[in-house]
This record gives sequence, structure tokens and C-alpha cells, in this order.
Amino acid sequence: MQQRDGGWSPYLAGGLSGLVGVFSVWFAGQYFGASTSFVRTAGMIEQLFGPDRVASMDYFIKNVPRIDWQWMFVVGIFLGALIAALTSGSFRLQAVPDMWAGRFGTRSTISRAAVAFAGGVVAMFGARMADG
Amino acid sequence: MTMLVYGLVTGVLFGFLLQKGRVLRYDKQVGALRLMDMTIVKFMLSSVIVGMVGIYLLHDLGLVKLSVKAAILGPVIIGALIFGLGWGLLGYCPGTSLGALGEGRWDALWGIVGMVAGAALFAEAYPVLKETVYTWGDLGKITLPQVLGVNHWIVIPLFIAGALVLFRWLEKRGL
Repeated sequence: MQQRDGGWSPYLAGGLSGLVGVFSVWFAGQYFGASTSFVRTAGMIEQLFGPDRVASMDYFIKNVPRIDWQWMFVVGIFLGALIAALTSGSFRLQAVPDMWAGRFGTRSTISRAAVAFAGGVVAMFGARMADG
Repeated sequence: MTMLVYGLVTGVLFGFLLQKGRVLRYDKQVGALRLMDMTIVKFMLSSVIVGMVGIYLLHDLGLVKLSVKAAILGPVIIGALIFGLGWGLLGYCPGTSLGALGEGRWDALWGIVGMVAGAALFAEAYPVLKETVYTWGDLGKITLPQVLGVNHWIVIPLFIAGALVLFRWLEKRGL
């Protein structure tokens, strides 16, 4: 099942990730998700500047700014990917993705940063609206 | 505390598999949006198939609860369109951005900061959206078997069969 790029078959890796999801629901009662953690993080940062305002906002009452199961799950994704990449020699510090570099050049770090930031703002706004 | 450990361990396993499946990369995500490389579709659908069989089995045995989100057409359709636009620009989704960073693709960091800002912006807009978009087309917490009026063990094999046909076609096309 080894792929040309040294990874596993996406069917195998995907199927196993589904199994991890089933066990998570069984043992912890937790379904996978990530975007709520960005809301909680934003709330925790805003609390540093105006705790009273955060406490009065509907969305932060609904999604209390605190570290919960999902927040640790998201941290875990970072660590798991780091472990897999380091142990397989596929870790690579890269400021600009290959496909992006093919179109805009390898020295387009600043424009990549600007587009990634703007894309992040838009993507999260949409994801939260759709409750995903 | 136990829940936090569960979360971390589950995330490590999931992140490990995301990296092994090579689905964290910008080239894979944008590759799918450009209909050039369907790796992430294969990964996601495989995950969904195993997940739906396992969770419905456990549900029938009374061991787990389903978590059904409300289908409100307004925010789901508009939100998805906005998300797609941002996803195409960023090239990572909320979960995979952290994994991409773990792989060393540190352009994901700008996206992560952007997403925290986007979440803060959404929290500001929420009171207005609650009175408008969120009132458009609320169908409640529905599921496909419920709407079709059939048992879920009719829907699940059909879904799997459809996915297998799609997989075969993708492999034939070299996608």
C-alpha cells in the first residue's frame, strides 16, 4: 500500500481515521471537530483585553472560551503530524507550497502570507456560519 | 482532565494518519479543488464509510448517542460558499492547518492566525446573523434515513456502493 510519495494509501489512512473516530465517540462521547476551538482561542485572547465584554457576548456564552476536549484534539493533530513527518523523513520547513511556488515563484513568501491570512479569516467565518 | 487527555491522544492518532495519508498539504487540498488530485476525497470518504458503519452499529447496541446538527439552509448554504472561497485561498482547512504546521509547512501559521481573527469577527457578527440568516429555512435536526422514511441499514450500503463506484472511477482516471 506504499505510495509513490512514501505515504500510505489514502483509503487505508482514511479508513483507520474513521476507526479512531468511532472509538472516540464510544469511549469519550466526542465527535471530531476543529473550528469551535478557534472560537474558544479568540475568546481566550480577547479575555486578556476585555473580560467583561467577552462575558457579555452571545457567541462566547454559547462557546465558552476555555480549553476542552476538542482544543486538545487540535493540539494533538499538530503533534501527531509532527511525529509522523519526523519519523518518516517527510518533515520539510516550507514557507511557500510547491504548487504556489510553481505559479508565483519561491520568493513570494509575503504574498503567500497575505493570501493565507485573508483566506483564513474568510474560511473560518464561513465554517462558523455553517456550524462546521 | 481525563477528557483533555482523551482529546490529546485522539488528536495525535488522527494527525498521524492525516500526515501518513498525505492529505495535509496545500498541493493536495488545492489539487482537489482544481480536480487534479482526489487524495483528500478518498481519505474523507473512507473515513466516513468506516465511521458511519461503526457509529450506527454502536448506536443500535445502545452504546453511543448520535450528534445531529440542525439543518438550517440559510447559514449552511451561505456559510459553505464563504468557507469554500476561504479554503481555496488558504489551501488548508481548520483541522488540517495545525497538521500542516506539524509537517513543517509553516505558511499554515498565517492561516491559523487568520482563522482566529475570523472566529473573533464571527462572534461580533453573530447577534445580527442570529436574527437573519439563522431564521432562513430551518429544517431541524434531520437525518437522511429519517427524511427518506427508511431504516439506516438501507441508506448505508447504498452510500458505500456509491463511494466504491466513485473510487473505481477515480482510480481509472488516475486521479
